[in-house]
Parts: sequence; structure tokens; C-alpha cells
Amino acid sequence: MPSNDTFHPVAWSAWLAAALLPALSTRNPFYLCLTLLAAAVSYLALGRRSALAKSWGAFVRFGAFLWLLTIPFIALTAHHGEIVLFRLPASWPVIGGPITGEALIYGLTGGLSLLALLLVFAVFNVAVDQGRLLRMTPGFIYQAGVVTAIAVAFVPQMVASWQAIREAQQVRGHRLRGVRDLLPLIMPLLVTALERAMQLAESMEARGFGGQVLAASARQRIAEQLAILVGLGALGAGFAGLGFWPGHRVLVGLLLAVGGGALIWAFWDQGRRVRRTRYRRWRWERGDRVVLVVSALAALGWLVAWLARGDWLFFYPYPPYSPWPTFQPALGLLILALAAPGLLLRPDLQHMTT
Amino acid sequence: MIQLSHVTYTYPDQPAPALADFSVSIEPGEFVLVVGPSGAGKSTFLRSLNGLVPHFYGGRWAGRAEVFGRDPVVAAPRGMADLVGLVFQDPEAQFVVDTVEDELAFAMENFALPQATMRKRVEEVLDQMNIAHLRNRRISTLSGGEKQRVAIASVLALQPELLVLDEPTSQLDPQAAEEVLIALRHLNEDLGLTVVLSEHRLERVLQYADRVLYLPALGAPSVLDAPRIVAAQLPLVPPLIELGRRLDWRPLPLTIKEGRIHARRLADRALKSDDRATGLQGGASGPRPGSSAPPLFGSVARAVAVSDLHYAYDGHRALRGVNLAVQRGEFVALMGRNGSGKSTLLKQLVGLLKPDQGRVTVFEMDTRQARMEEIIRRVGYVPQHPGALLFSDTLALELAFTRRGHGLPPDPAADQALLARLGLAALVERDPRDLSGGEQQRAALASILVANPDLILLDEPTRGLDYAQKRGLTDLLRGLRAEGCTIIMATHDVELAAACADRVVLMAEGEVVVDGPAREVMSDSQVFASQINKLFRDPRYLVVDDVIQALATRGEGPTNYT
Repeated sequence: MPSNDTFHPVAWSAWLAAALLPALSTRNPFYLCLTLLAAAVSYLALGRRSALAKSWGAFVRFGAFLWLLTIPFIALTAHHGEIVLFRLPASWPVIGGPITGEALIYGLTGGLSLLALLLVFAVFNVAVDQGRLLRMTPGFIYQAGVVTAIAVAFVPQMVASWQAIREAQQVRGHRLRGVRDLLPLIMPLLVTALERAMQLAESMEARGFGGQVLAASARQRIAEQLAILVGLGALGAGFAGLGFWPGHRVLVGLLLAVGGGALIWAFWDQGRRVRRTRYRRWRWERGDRVVLVVSALAALGWLVAWLARGDWLFFYPYPPYSPWPTFQPALGLLILALAAPGLLLRPDLQHMTT
Repeated sequence: MIQLSHVTYTYPDQPAPALADFSVSIEPGEFVLVVGPSGAGKSTFLRSLNGLVPHFYGGRWAGRAEVFGRDPVVAAPRGMADLVGLVFQDPEAQFVVDTVEDELAFAMENFALPQATMRKRVEEVLDQMNIAHLRNRRISTLSGGEKQRVAIASVLALQPELLVLDEPTSQLDPQAAEEVLIALRHLNEDLGLTVVLSEHRLERVLQYADRVLYLPALGAPSVLDAPRIVAAQLPLVPPLIELGRRLDWRPLPLTIKEGRIHARRLADRALKSDDRATGLQGGASGPRPGSSAPPLFGSVARAVAVSDLHYAYDGHRALRGVNLAVQRGEFVALMGRNGSGKSTLLKQLVGLLKPDQGRVTVFEMDTRQARMEEIIRRVGYVPQHPGALLFSDTLALELAFTRRGHGLPPDPAADQALLARLGLAALVERDPRDLSGGEQQRAALASILVANPDLILLDEPTRGLDYAQKRGLTDLLRGLRAEGCTIIMATHDVELAAACADRVVLMAEGEVVVDGPAREVMSDSQVFASQINKLFRDPRYLVVDDVIQALATRGEGPTNYT
């Protein structure tokens, strides 16, 4: 099926994975800024095409607000570092003492990764129709895909409910003065969300969701259970290794790969028994392939940087490390290439809404 | 064939059964309307037809069920999905994906139908429901009636034998409801689909049904018979049938067309008068019972003044140059299609929204400048969904919360009196979220009325209420009006507006298109006319009491005018 206003969901999924890697794994402000830039280009190109897009816009603004809030907070409260910008009287509680450049940089980079993360998710959610995403999930995670898609679809509904509840309580004289005042807002929100979830579950059940599953043989079941056991064990060891064996990255990578692979096989094998068909057939177009390749290259670049000696991604401004981040132009270029979706969307289609 | 034999079902943790020794038999191709008061077990019966009861809810089930050769208790909902299509009250809550065509395919994908079959069936249901032009639309952009037709189409794609609908028009305006019901009649008559539908607003549906299943309150036996026979036995009925019963019209009219024959005779014999041109004497042309006419002019008497009000959100122009003045003590019904701007206007009046352009004053307070605390001291606003208000552990605490918010001292005696007036006195210690729909609606009203507002704003107050609950609400609102409250109510419920309102304001696309006395506006409108008015096409007659009162004035008793 041609996607006239966006790209193939698989291409977008690859983009999401590639863009999340720097956002999650580094505090280096250069790479984070480039990730932000690439995501912002795509976000702006996609336009505010749906209620979901608007609700994500609110999230991004909230993230930016949090970021701006954390900078002075960290700068004023963390008094470590060698670059002293100025001093506040030591008698002032909490904020008294040297205000350092390191703290300022740390505040800047900390919020930056949160903002990058929010913007990357915003792009993905605005670009990918949940229904289409749901149809792309392979058999073995089909049900998880549906649950995820519904959870994402709940965001704008929750925003709308929150608004309605806030208004309803406001006209009863409710004011938000402290944590206890949240109850009149949270309780109806939870109840409304639960009711909606129940109604949707009922509707899905009545339409045969998850109904066509073939029985597994005993051998198949044992193999799947073993694979899940091995997979979880290897993943657990791999994640532990990330923290405890920083020098053994190849081994850690191998454990993670084996663990992930075993789990994927187990789920794939289970998924083979789920009988379902797809109404939509997607056709890969040039733009989809470009986004996929660019995303794969960016992810590869990140992997090389992660495995490289000297760790290109590491950044910590406080002594004994340097407050000035390093920068590898090749990696920077690859991250910047993640702006490709924004550049490839045709202007006449960029604001298509239905 | 649908057969339920001696079914008794009790929800988990409930002391009494929702269905007790219930038996029913429905033939293939029938259109059966299920009616009865709230809590009588209508939804439970409908959900038992595809196994959601007991599979989805749990609880205790006894008895035997067979639906087109399958036992829903054995087959479970998934096993019944290709046989029974179930459509719910709120169309929004049942959509899984967000474009129309994908939604139609969802159930077929679950059944692993080949793609070619899916394509064919999607085309078929698009045509059957007359929604082919919507195929690529996002569901969020559809109107209420369109959404409900898509919901029906999405279950029809599996080509079920039985279509079950739980109050499918309760959230729709009259036109949208008509669209949905016409589509259902077509499916039933042309395709032979069996339809079982529950609905509170009988005036909308009765004419389409082959038989009516009446589920009275628990304990009493159910009745399944021809609409005319059941309508003669129901305790509360639409105005047309109520008038027919009070005047002993035979055969009892079910449609306006049938009633018009009787009405013409009645008008010729008893109601004929020469006073149409000279003003509406006799009959019930004056203000509502229990009310005194509000003073019409002068700013002192004005509760609301809206001038050239414009408001837009998310690029949508919700209000475009609205002008409205409401005098103190008036009862105004705001009517119009879904999305015509009624709710937005109410929010402007309580200061939740501020004008983009123009001015809104409420009791001489400009809502743009006045603080919310000042406005809500005089204005109470009851939103569409009572669930948005209720959060406390008991009803008493709910009222206490509003009192605190308004800076009022606790007054348990006054609270108790208010709850008694709303028929909630016995529920004072109950958790408001556990109450039935009608009780929640009244609880929400109580939590606003406790602050004694001078102006009450109501948004769709009869949504999901049965006739008894609606009658209770009508009496309450009339009482408040008689005490001098100003009431502005956004509603699709034509009969409620006819029974209560002095004035009707019709809105369309953010503009006031008609504003005038209820009798005039409703008589001039094809869509927003009450049943009685459609019958006589005379502004003197909007509700049953108008006709009875006119007959009494002329010394005619409610005898047989057939």
C-alpha cells in the first residue's frame, strides 16, 4: 500500500531505533544537539496533522520547560567543579557557594537528552499511524503490538479527559495548591481511562481478537520455554555486564545478541500458531528505502563509536574529566543524516490531513 | 433462531441476579426492540447473546442459550464473533484503529480471511451502510452518526446472522440517530439480518420493530409481543403513545402518521378554535406550569449577555458571532447537531473559556475579567459526563468538597435535604462511582446545586436516562425554574426541551440560527419538533399536558375521540 504522506512503518521503526541510541546512551551535547536537530526537522516537516500530533506537541513543550527549569536548579545547587563563574554568599542555604561552569554544562546536557527522547518519540508517533503500525507487527508480537498501539492511542484521549475533569472540578471551586489537591483530578482520570479500556477490550473480544490460535505440541512448548529461559538469562548477564565489565564490550554485546535472539525465536515460534491475515499490503518506495538505509548506517556508526577504544560517546563535565566534549565529525554526520525523513517528505504532502 | 431458556445470571460480588429465570425466543429475520428501566438487565441480555456474559464479566450463569445453533457460553465471544455482531453505546470506545477502511478489516484479519475476501466484503459493507465516501477518513474526523454507522459496518464485515446493538443512538442528535436507524431497517428488511436493539428513546425506534421485549424491574416477568400490545402495557411511554392511551385512541398509534389521523379528528371536534390568529388563548400557550414569566428587559433582570462572541480552538471556529441575552428566571434550551457549538457556548458562560472576540457577561460580570471564584458563586455547570466530577468515597463527601471549594460552611442538614429532593437520600454513604448512570447524573447535579447557583448550565443532562429518570429530572428542573433559577441546557432531547424550556436557541456551525419561544421554534422546525407538535403542527401543543389541558378548558374529558 502506498504511503502518500509518510514512510513505511518499518522504515520509521528503524529510524526510531537509530535516533533513540544517541538520545539514550550519551550526554555529549554535540551528538544530542544533532539528534534534536534531525528530529526537529522531521517533526516540523510532518506538521500538526492529528490530535495525537498536537498532544505530543504539548509533551515536547513540557519537556523543554522541564529542561529550562533544571539548568538553573543544577547550576545553583551543585557546587563542584573548577570553572567558577561566580560565587554566592556561603551563608545562603543550598544555593550559597561557587556556581561552576561544570554544573551549568551538566544541567544543560541532562535535560537535553530528555528533550531529544521526547522529540524522537513525538516524530515517530506523529509519523506512524497506530493502525498501520499494528498491522506491521509480526505474528509473534501481534498482541503486544495491539496493546502498545492502543496505549499510544490513549494519550490524546487521556489529554482530553484530563482537560474535561480539570474544568469540571474548577467550576466546583477546586484549586491545585498541593499534592493532596491532585486526588479530585487523578481519581476521575483513572476511572475514565479504566472504563474506556474495558469497553475497548470488550469490543475487541466481541470481534474475535486473538481467537485463532493453534495448539502447540509438547516438544514445541518445551523448546520455546527453554529458549525463553536461555534468552532471559543471557540478557540479564549482558545487562549486568554493561555495568560490571566495562572492558568486555564484545562479550557483553554477544550475550545481549544471544539473549535477544533466543527470545525472538521463542516468540516467533509461538507467533506461527496465531492465524491472522493482513488487509493492507505495503509497497516499498524509494523514500522508504532511503530512510531505512540512513537509519541503519546511523545505528552502525553508533555501534562502532560504542565499541571504539577511548569511548567516543562518554561525556562527564566534572573533574577529573574534561568539561569540553569531544566530537567525531563522521558520527555527527551520520546522526545528522537522521533528518532524512524530514527532507524527503514532499512539501505538497507534508501537511496532508484527513 | 435465538433461544434463551431459564437463564439466571449474577455478576461477581452482586447479591441479586441481573437476569432471573429469563426465557426468550426470537425468530431469524426479526427486528426486536429491547426496552425497560435502567438496571432491568437489557445490556446483560444483549451481552449474553455473544457470550460476553458470562465470559468477559465472570459471575454465575445457569440456564441454556442457543444462538443460531451455537451455545455462546461454550463458544465464548471469539467463537461467536462471526455469528453475532455487537455494537456498543459509545462508538468512540469500540474503535481499535483510526481509519475507516482499516477498522472494517480488523475483525476479518482476526479471523484470518484471505485478502481477496476481505477486499470484497469491505466494499460490500461500505455500500450497505452508505459510507463508501468515508473509506479513507480518519475516524476522529467523523460525525457521531457516521461513527456509529462505521461501528455497525465493522461488525457486519464478518457477515453475522445477528446484529445486537446496545443503545446505539443515545449519544446522537436526532438527525444522526435517524441515519443510523434507517440503515438498520435497510439491513433488516433487504438482507434479512436479525436485529436486536435496546433503546431508551422509544419514540425513535418503536416504529421499526417487529416485536418489543419489555424487561421490567427484576422479579416481574418479561413481555415479548407486537409493539402495539407492549406499548399499551409499558408504565412510561413516548408522548405520542401516552396521549393515545389517555385519549383511548384505537388502534394505539405508534407513528406520527398513525397518530395524525386521530389528531385531525380531535382537532376538528374538540380543539378547533378561532383563536390562532388572535393569539393563543386557552390550551397551554402561556409559560410553563409553576413558572412566572420573567421580566423581559432591563439589565438588572439580565442573567447572561453574549455579544458577537467568536471562539476558535485548534483552528476550528467553534463559535462565530454568537449573540444571546437570557433574562433571570428563564429556561433556555440550546439545541443543534453534534459539534454545533452548544457545549463551547456553555463553557464560555461559566468562564472556562474566554472569548477570542466579543463579550460575555454573566450577572454583570465580564467573564474575561472576572475571577473564576466570583463566577462560580453565581453559576453552576454540570458537564456531559458525570464521571468527570465524581471522585469522593461517598456522596456526602462529594457535596462537602463543593462546599469547601466555594468557601461555604458545612451544612449536613441542607445537604441531606438536597439529596432527598433528588431522590438520593438513601445513597448518601454510597460511593458515587458505584451508582447507576441516572443516579450518577443526579449526584453530579447535586454536587453543583449544593452551592445554590443562580444560573445552572446543563450539558446533555438526559444522556442514558430512562423515562422514569427523565421524568424525575424534568420535575426537578421545573421546580428549580419555579424557584427563580435561570437554566440554560444544551440538549438533543426534543421532548425534554418541549417539557421544560421557555425558549429554544437553535445553533448550527457555531452560529445562532433561530432564537425564540419554545412553542414557535419547535413548531417551525421539522427536526426539533416534539412528537405532540408534529401531530398537531400547532404551537399551542408541545406536550401531552397541553392537549389534555386544552380539552379540559373546553369542558371535554379525555374520552374516546377515535
